[in-house]
Amino acid sequence: MEYGLRLTSLDSPPRDPRDACPLPWRSLLPEGPAVALYFGSEFCEDLLPDLDEAQAFCALASERGWEPTLLTPLVTPVGLEIVHRLLAGLAANRSLPAVVFNDWGVLGLLREHHPSLPRRAGRLMNRSLRDPRAYRDAPAGFATHDSSRFERLHRFFVDAGVAAVETDADLDGGYLGVGQDAAGAGLARALHLPFTFAASGRNCPMKALRYPEGNGFSKALADPCPGPCRTGPVAVQRDDSPLPHWRGGNTLFYEIPQEVARTWLARTDRVVLHQEAAP
Amino acid sequence: MKVLAPLRNSEEVLPLCEAGAQEFYCGLTPPGWEQAFGQASVHRRNPRSAGVPSMDDLRRIVALAQPRPVFATLNAPSYPAGAVPRLVEFGRSLLDDVGVAALIVAEWELLFALCEQGLAPRLHISSLASCRNPGAAAFYRSLGVARVILPRHMTLCEIEATAIPGLESEVFVLNDGCVFEEGICATTHALGTFCLSDRLGGKFGRLDERYEFWKWTQNNCGSQTSRGYTLGPCGLCALPRLARLGVASLKVVGREASLGRKAASVRLAAAALACTESGARPEGIRDAVVALRGAPELCQDAHLCYYPDVWAEGAPGSGDSAVTTASVRSARVTEPNAPGAPENTLAVESHRHEGSPTRPPSRGTGSC
Repeated sequence: MEYGLRLTSLDSPPRDPRDACPLPWRSLLPEGPAVALYFGSEFCEDLLPDLDEAQAFCALASERGWEPTLLTPLVTPVGLEIVHRLLAGLAANRSLPAVVFNDWGVLGLLREHHPSLPRRAGRLMNRSLRDPRAYRDAPAGFATHDSSRFERLHRFFVDAGVAAVETDADLDGGYLGVGQDAAGAGLARALHLPFTFAASGRNCPMKALRYPEGNGFSKALADPCPGPCRTGPVAVQRDDSPLPHWRGGNTLFYEIPQEVARTWLARTDRVVLHQEAAP
Repeated sequence: MKVLAPLRNSEEVLPLCEAGAQEFYCGLTPPGWEQAFGQASVHRRNPRSAGVPSMDDLRRIVALAQPRPVFATLNAPSYPAGAVPRLVEFGRSLLDDVGVAALIVAEWELLFALCEQGLAPRLHISSLASCRNPGAAAFYRSLGVARVILPRHMTLCEIEATAIPGLESEVFVLNDGCVFEEGICATTHALGTFCLSDRLGGKFGRLDERYEFWKWTQNNCGSQTSRGYTLGPCGLCALPRLARLGVASLKVVGREASLGRKAASVRLAAAALACTESGARPEGIRDAVVALRGAPELCQDAHLCYYPDVWAEGAPGSGDSAVTTASVRSARVTEPNAPGAPENTLAVESHRHEGSPTRPPSRGTGSC
């Protein structure tokens, strides 16, 4: 097993990658080296780093011998330009991160303008259900891990030069597929732990806090946001699920049951560990 | 532009044509589906409360709707193993045997499978596929599909940038908002509506009431006017702008709704389209909509707007005359002929918000 790290701060990357995630999860995870440093956002284009911040992540990754890996979200037309400029700026500074895309427009951008950057399909490219309430009746989950339902999508990814598929744990499994063959052909597999996203969108309550009554939400969709969610996720209580839930900006996350995670670990090459439920 | 109406059965076709529907969409579950795939959704709605009851009824729908096209939804975000081949066969039968004009598809595996069968020109990409930018639209155009349904939560400027040549665009104009974005909401309504029980609490407690209010507007304010009009999200004032952008189709939401609600909604959309075609400006359309529907207070501060950026800064309805959350939520829909109250309005007290901080700079309002 190899690890990617999604850290909240660059101050002190852990020596053992497993130390990056909440304590109860560490004993579940096998030993393995950290190989990648993840930064950016899969859920909100306002959380994309500026060039300096991205450079700092790339420099730290390089110092540690890790692959810098930029997470990108679904994007607006403006967001697509932002990603384009960011990647161009990084390239000008000889930083060449892998890019996790969650938008067909970003994949097109990578293929057309940044063909040398490794491409990884992000977790929003897997639209399988993740409803946390489903675990009320099936605490160990009911994933079949049948990868046949993604055969054509995987083939398309391979033809489009995508190196890997990434996801968090959904209810059905199968998205990660069968991995690469001995010759390295096919798609590498990465699983995000311990947080799974339940729902996301553009009407961010944390952003709405900045507005007077009567504004925010739908009326502020395209307003840029300074990211008040950067201070960290907020615990969410739900009456319909015993699992720990978190609001990270515009996205609701939850911690999957550990017995569910076990069934996924056998089907992945990399675990991307999140220090917290960050969008 | 055409008004696209939801359907549940053939009895709804003629009343909706009369109301002004120019296109239809509906969902049907393939025979034997439940035995093979259990409760897995085919078209994101309960097959009993929102689905067409049978292939025969769908044939009647297509015949009655002529020459208006009927589109069929196969738009679940994901399907169980083994389902895609079955849906490809079913989809082909809907197109070739039943006479459905196009299939509405969200899941990429199904999309690729239908394209392999040469059916791309008869496919519409569901809003669940989250086509939010011109690059994503170009991807779908490269597959050869006919139309893309843009997600609810886009500004007019974003629609303008995303509506590229060679691909029809469809946009939401009436009813049934979404708290999260449906394409990236990984929950299922089969277990109850996840978002409606989402609470902020904690350090965001002071936002709770506003969040509840906004969710209430997305949920059609939980009510109708006394004339049967839904008080849901509405993009009708944006029709002149949408027409200039070349948008092809205006979606009225609510397959599971009653015929009365569907007809009222279609009538409202058709009236707004007629105003647009006669050169009306957004303000004129709003007046016409309010005259039919009532509830002017909900338009006053753009509470129901799908596209609030239609109101440029300083224009009427731009938010300068804020109605407070509490006052609107305490509003009630008047009963027909209620004594002492104007017919078909919401009784609302209006209060200007005092001491509001300046709004942050916008990149979504006004001109693009």
